[in-house]
Amino acid sequence: MTIINHQTILEAGRYRELSLNGADPVVVARLHRFMLRLRRCEEALAREYHPADEMRCPVHFCIGQEAVPAALSESLTQDDYLFSHHRSHGYFLAKGAPMRAMFAEIYGKETGANGGKAGSQDISYAALNFFSGAILAGATAIAAGAALGFQLRNERRAVVAGFGESATDEGIFWETVNYAALRRLPLVLVCENNNYSVFSPMSKRQAVETVSDKVAAFGMKSVTLFGNDVIKVHAAIADAVEAARSGKGPTFIEAYTYRWSGHYGPESDDLVGYRSQAELDAWKANCPIALLEEALTAQDWLSTAQKTEMLHAIDSEIEESFSFAKTSPFPRDVDWAQMNLSNRSPLADKLLMDIDLDVFDENQTFVQAKGY
Amino acid sequence: MNSTPTADQTCEAAVPPAVRKCSYAEAIGQGLAQAMELSDRVCVLGQLVDYKPGVFGTTTGLVEKFGPDRVQDFAVAESAMTAAAIGAAIAGMRPVLIHHRLDFMLYSMDAIVNWLSLWRFKSNNASALPVVIRAIVGKGWGQGPQHSKSLHAWFAHLPGLRVAVPATAFDAKGLLLESIFGEDPAIIIEHRSLFGLSDNVPSRPYRVRYGKAVVRRKGKHVTLVAIGIMVPLALRAAVQLAAQSIDVEVIDLRTVSPLDIDSVCESVAKTGRLVVADPAWCTGSVAAEVIAAVCEREGRNLKANPGRVCLPDSHTPMSSALEEAYYPNEDSIVNRIVTQFQ
Repeated sequence: MTIINHQTILEAGRYRELSLNGADPVVVARLHRFMLRLRRCEEALAREYHPADEMRCPVHFCIGQEAVPAALSESLTQDDYLFSHHRSHGYFLAKGAPMRAMFAEIYGKETGANGGKAGSQDISYAALNFFSGAILAGATAIAAGAALGFQLRNERRAVVAGFGESATDEGIFWETVNYAALRRLPLVLVCENNNYSVFSPMSKRQAVETVSDKVAAFGMKSVTLFGNDVIKVHAAIADAVEAARSGKGPTFIEAYTYRWSGHYGPESDDLVGYRSQAELDAWKANCPIALLEEALTAQDWLSTAQKTEMLHAIDSEIEESFSFAKTSPFPRDVDWAQMNLSNRSPLADKLLMDIDLDVFDENQTFVQAKGY
Repeated sequence: MNSTPTADQTCEAAVPPAVRKCSYAEAIGQGLAQAMELSDRVCVLGQLVDYKPGVFGTTTGLVEKFGPDRVQDFAVAESAMTAAAIGAAIAGMRPVLIHHRLDFMLYSMDAIVNWLSLWRFKSNNASALPVVIRAIVGKGWGQGPQHSKSLHAWFAHLPGLRVAVPATAFDAKGLLLESIFGEDPAIIIEHRSLFGLSDNVPSRPYRVRYGKAVVRRKGKHVTLVAIGIMVPLALRAAVQLAAQSIDVEVIDLRTVSPLDIDSVCESVAKTGRLVVADPAWCTGSVAAEVIAAVCEREGRNLKANPGRVCLPDSHTPMSSALEEAYYPNEDSIVNRIVTQFQ
């Protein structure tokens, strides 16, 4: 494919370009395992979601979009910062945060990643520099700010923001692209272009559908790729992260992909009629895991026995995470005043004096400001 | 401590030596310069902050001393600027944002409401955002419908933010330093008409704490609570009323979130009367909140209906003739208090 967009991907049919030539088998095995683990995790959460209704939390599943989080998990170190959109589970796991803390958060338990205060779409894990939020493009600019902080202090870290293409409908995204390009910030912007803002396709929202062309016009390096080819996605993200760390400035990556599930929750929302069954089927035929497994099998890098063993370990972890979430206590602390503001100020205590107020001058002169 | 040549040394020397007579604008400049000296994590972002006039003189001299990275002129992209400050704070910086006019800050309502105020809560106290936003509000001389909006009540409504409205040069510096070196986001609303007002300002870095109102004048007949630019007017109204044998206790709230209701109630318990002067629209104002909170605790002890001296529920006119009718002045406060005794 020379021009990559949703239309050309559908027209090309089954993807045939995934290549393991020159790839490190150990890295590929980890990418594969990550995607499989994420897929099983999401499928298990979707299965559990309704029967007991114990997860009273909106959840945006990422089934079909495993390649970008897998590539991130392989490219980022603990020192790097990752900001995620509301479809956050893959990103949470990509930063190495524990699955059980994610499950407990979705169940609203005290042992959750955020003590049950954030839920799926606002989950964070500050100890591993992972953050997320639901109001689409805000986090792209926040990520740019973190990148600014590291640039000002000459710290060799990369900051990555992941978001959907709907975030590029919002103005702050373009302010961020401009600012990051201007200052050559150590930032990687990863756009998972799944074509839909809930039901609304990109063609109804933007005159030019390829985001990367527009970003390039702002003076930022811009890459477009088929987002279900995890080998290509990994190569692009790894390069961009390295460029950021080594002071070569920001990169925008547009990874075309597709969400199999409904916008949120475990049910399909296809009854709305916003996309065709043929389109969904075509994308399922280009499943990122199936595409990789086909290549792995062809190279003899993956046997049935290996996969069975891997699935067994993954399913045990998922089982354990459910058990942890379900048996953990609910939070009981209702001291609201302690949750929103700090009751300590160690730096101010160290640097600032307390001064008696008797210096106040009661006869202050007061001047009306004049002029613009 | 040495400060910037523009901020500190231009202040008129006074006695005792630790305290100088300074304007409100000079005190802010002094606070910024001292904060940047105390910690290289402090940076200033805003439009035109690195030019000689600075922001009404409050940033003049900073770029020469601390360089263009830490004193950064920003694109006219307020929403990205606020979000970038959030990110910088996550990365360990202590950014100070400056808006020449509060109106421009409103482009960043998503960053302020959906991210800044929510961050600590949703991280379950694991992540803090020491971001300071200075926003300047105009009054008079045709600032008109666009540049006269004092929206402190909006921000006070949000959990997770601290909101200060300093009325004196002393408080402007102390609250700024407290905000920069505190652990929570802070919005400081500065009324531009106060920038030339002078007060005794300690030269050293000091703090003024949030949620601690101060009694500016002791009195026993009526409690007059004032916010920001209404404080100097309230003090002058109190002088007028003293001539009519009405002894007014003037309380400067200093910060509207957290709000020091204890101090107001303590005064009202003594005086039995309450008037609140707030330089903002009446409906949904901090003045309304103060009266509600006091009535919940001291309602039975009030000798007269409490009163508000606020702006009319109308946008601000440009014409000086209409401005005069629009803005409450000393006499408005005097008249409102006199009715409490009729």
